[in-house]
Amino acid sequence: MLGVLIRRVLGALPVLAIVSLITFGMIHMIPGDPAAAIAGMSATAEQIANIRTDLGLDQPVLDQLWHWYANLAHGDLGRSLLLGIPVMTATLQRLPVTLALSAYALVLTLVLGLGSGIVAALKRNTWIDQAAMVLAMIGISLPNFYLGLLMIILFAVDLGWLPTGGYVPLWQNPIGWLATSTMPAISLALLLAGLLARITRSTMLEVLRQDYIRTANAKGLPRRQVVLKHALANALIPITTVVGIIISLLISGAVVTETLFSIPGIGQLLTQAVLNRDYPMVQGGLLLTTALLVLINIGIDVCYALLDPRIRYDG
Amino acid sequence: MKHEFLASLLLFGLASAANAEPFKCPHVGGDLVFGQEANINTLDQMASATISTRNIAMNIYETLMTRDENNNPILELASAMTEAPDHLTFTFKLRPNIVFHNGKKMTSADVVASFDRYAKVGNQRSILNNVKGWDAPDAETFVIHMKVAQPTFIESLSSFSVPIVIIPAEERDVPAMQLTKPIGTGPFELVESVPGSFVKLKRYDGYQPNTAFEQKTGFGGYKQACLDTVTFRIVTEPGARVAGLKTGELQAVEDLPTKSVPDLKKDPNITILPLLNWWIQIAIPNTSAPPTDNVTFRRAVQAALDMDEIMDAASDGNYKLNVGFQYPNQPDYTDAGKATYNLKDPALAKKLLAESGYHNEPVVLLTDKDYAPMYNSALVMQQELQAVGINAQMKVVDWPTSVQMSQVSDTSWNFFFTGWGTQPALGALATMQFLADPNAVYRPKGDKGDPELIAAWNDMNNLPEAKDRQAAYAKMQQITLEKVFAIPFGSLTKVQGTRANVKGFVPFRIPRMSNVWFSN
Repeated sequence: MLGVLIRRVLGALPVLAIVSLITFGMIHMIPGDPAAAIAGMSATAEQIANIRTDLGLDQPVLDQLWHWYANLAHGDLGRSLLLGIPVMTATLQRLPVTLALSAYALVLTLVLGLGSGIVAALKRNTWIDQAAMVLAMIGISLPNFYLGLLMIILFAVDLGWLPTGGYVPLWQNPIGWLATSTMPAISLALLLAGLLARITRSTMLEVLRQDYIRTANAKGLPRRQVVLKHALANALIPITTVVGIIISLLISGAVVTETLFSIPGIGQLLTQAVLNRDYPMVQGGLLLTTALLVLINIGIDVCYALLDPRIRYDG
Repeated sequence: MKHEFLASLLLFGLASAANAEPFKCPHVGGDLVFGQEANINTLDQMASATISTRNIAMNIYETLMTRDENNNPILELASAMTEAPDHLTFTFKLRPNIVFHNGKKMTSADVVASFDRYAKVGNQRSILNNVKGWDAPDAETFVIHMKVAQPTFIESLSSFSVPIVIIPAEERDVPAMQLTKPIGTGPFELVESVPGSFVKLKRYDGYQPNTAFEQKTGFGGYKQACLDTVTFRIVTEPGARVAGLKTGELQAVEDLPTKSVPDLKKDPNITILPLLNWWIQIAIPNTSAPPTDNVTFRRAVQAALDMDEIMDAASDGNYKLNVGFQYPNQPDYTDAGKATYNLKDPALAKKLLAESGYHNEPVVLLTDKDYAPMYNSALVMQQELQAVGINAQMKVVDWPTSVQMSQVSDTSWNFFFTGWGTQPALGALATMQFLADPNAVYRPKGDKGDPELIAAWNDMNNLPEAKDRQAAYAKMQQITLEKVFAIPFGSLTKVQGTRANVKGFVPFRIPRMSNVWFSN
């Protein structure tokens, strides 16, 4: 297994190289002057030109590419044009915020999605099944931005239960983190829980029709054991694939939620970087995020092997 | 001229000291959370022209000179300034006992280092173009030597657009944008800055207020920190700012959506504070590209416009019609050229169109959606131009792209939509630089500006008497409007709000946190 892991990690390096090149090319192809973005409205042409000179934006693109790769070889991702701090520092400040929020949302997604999907499958064609699927459809259909605003009005303004926004780091104040992260996590989770519920239901239905389930039932095994040990365990492979995608979506798709609730996560950071043409931040931030997503996918592959001993990658 | 300025300044200071008690905090303590609309890029005030940076940094930093409530230059970290009779030397006496947030006493060596850094990385370092050098003959004296006399030098030096903030000498060589832990002399010092989330300041107990005044005024005056801490929380979503103000999580916010104001006004716990004349909404023609290279065509466009309709859409109804480039409450204000403003005369527009030889060529309105007022004003202008037979088309990009395109005349645009905020607030000189080399936005042919306009601009800068410079400004505004080198639509109001228990918060170009307190 260790050898497989090493091969997978090494195999990811060309992926990262290609991603970095594409990112560099695309961000530089987009029209727009980072100096204008940094200068803001009301800046004069002279002020914009000064920023361009001070930050080296007047250098030829190929020179910038060469410098970027040369610095990357030394582990230096450059310095954010906007923030004035190293890209690595900025990313490492923001990534834990998004990861913590994503983990919270993932727990909610799994509880709601798996739970309602399994129940719907077991209670197929009953009102419970229909209610679960209607809720899942609402979750999928409701834009999380709109849902977030509705929750702010209800839970923060009207009921006063939760703060309207802001962020408290988990490691500083877990209760405060829970208070500030609950609405964002719910708004993120509902969409994905709906997706997971539908996939869990259809996968479970398919597994429940299999001969080995009929055999287990015929042997008189308790219902709970049949469902959890035989049906769910076999349904988990496709569900794990979807969970892998969900984790990627949570990390990469949290930007709207982060903006609405003023959460300083990686999504908000990278979106601002793209909008403001903060080239080093986009290049470095996306490279690190891609590396993280590659690692998550490797982790999912490992999970397959752990869930189903028949799956082996080393031949 | 400068002697008069100094005399009146000193008289004002002495009168203040003799007649009134300086401000004393009615209540000390509390954390004020301010909902700021825009992310901050940097707290390196010398390198940043953005409002979001200034909002926070100008509560931390101070300057030798700044502007008062009415935009007049005043001394801040200097107690006196004298100008030599030949206008080539400015000598500043520093206020004694000023101590930086790091505990170090401020001396003229720090001022020298600050000017050194600004000359290298200051975002508006051209204000030192006519300066030969500076030195510090002793620890309390700082002297600026000019290459040539510049009648407007004090106006430039006191500008808050990108101010020459005074920093400790050790930070002289910090590159642009990298002064991430600001150390100033202001009433608040930095506690923590989390980009994208919040910036927290705390009261600086070693702060020395300027006793030449008895109240804060503009960016200067007698300042006191009454609050224990101030947290600038970045809340970019307007609905979230409204919700935060309603619940009391935010005690003050900027840029409340106009539609939420009637509801907020009914809440006795909230005070609405309109900040008039926040920016001038404006469209700039491309005078190098047809058909806007033709002044008769540009006049036809000018005649077609109904400014009320445009400004209503741009501001959600929160605006004032305004001729020209200064506001009526400013000393430089003039209505020169008012005959060209808000004509809403389709018949005249059609007549001028016919005279201009216009044949349905596309007229491209270059705008963006990053700033809603720019997009909305372009949208209404498009409708009004189409109504008189002009083939107006929108080109909607994002703000960095539109600025980049606006700086090149051959990128298929005819009107560039922008807003002028800080510069009009600084006065006519700062504003009209947008129409003069090297900042001309109207894209003169071959980058050569209109000779009449340039002559008026030179007079604005170089005539020795203030009244003559003011006359030159009036002339420049008149030329600009009559030749349609810019189409100012009107001025926007920015609505701020506080919880009712927040006292002393007076809307200004930044949220000033000094002399603000919580009522018991």
